[in-house]
Amino acid sequence: MKLRILIDKQQEEKILIYAHEKTPLIEEIERLVEDSALGFTGYDEDSQFRLNPADIHCFTVEDGRLYALTDSGKLLIKMRLYQVEEKLSGNFVKINQSCIANIKKIARFDSSVTGTLRVVFKNGYEDYVSRRQIKSVKERLGL
Amino acid sequence: MNKYLKSFLHRGLLFGGFGPVVASIVFLAISHTVDNFSLSAREVFTATFSTYLLAFVHAGASVFNQIEHWSLPKSLLCHFSMLYAAYSLCYVANSWIPFEPKVLLIFSLIFIAVYFVVWIIVYLCVRSTTKKLNGQLR
Repeated sequence: MKLRILIDKQQEEKILIYAHEKTPLIEEIERLVEDSALGFTGYDEDSQFRLNPADIHCFTVEDGRLYALTDSGKLLIKMRLYQVEEKLSGNFVKINQSCIANIKKIARFDSSVTGTLRVVFKNGYEDYVSRRQIKSVKERLGL
Repeated sequence: MNKYLKSFLHRGLLFGGFGPVVASIVFLAISHTVDNFSLSAREVFTATFSTYLLAFVHAGASVFNQIEHWSLPKSLLCHFSMLYAAYSLCYVANSWIPFEPKVLLIFSLIFIAVYFVVWIIVYLCVRSTTKKLNGQLR
């Protein structure tokens, strides 16, 4: 597939794809475009940031507050976990009752000897997949 | 409240009720196979109360596996000890096993063997799932 990028500040920003069929690559581009259009606002102590979902490793609830974990740290999100879940695209999957993971930011899965399925993110953060969510995680990864 | 203690209580309350349900199914099955099987009110109370506590502890104890800052031996030891204490007390309280050293020793050996067989099966299942998921990530 050929790629052509035209930088023109006079034109409306858009992505146009000519393809013979819908491939996984096109689906991936679709998800990335959807995610970049969403955006979340993250807050730290004295400032706020616009977050692109593609940069978020996971959303996690700590002490009743929702945080987005990114490469640069933890930012407060002033929403409920279920509201975030409704907004997110197919790159995100709920792994337990207090964490939604970005599949693209998962470094690996680990089987702990205690019988727990652990998720290790690219930023080093670790969480676990609850038994209830294993099925949906498998489905999301095409198993 | 500590999040792990909260999780312990939450899981215990969710699944505690399964204890008396399983016990009543077992009693029903026994009543169909043993002639003149009956239980006194005290025995019913002990069985209901102790099996509720047993299921409560069994469900809640799974939280030990998720305490990240605990080492594996510590979490396994706590999980095993809590289940062993709950099961042995429940069995003795209901007179399902007599309170005799020899019987308690046999019970303990069977408990240890079953615990580790279950543990190995669960571990192998999780390891297989992990391998498949990592294969999909690449």
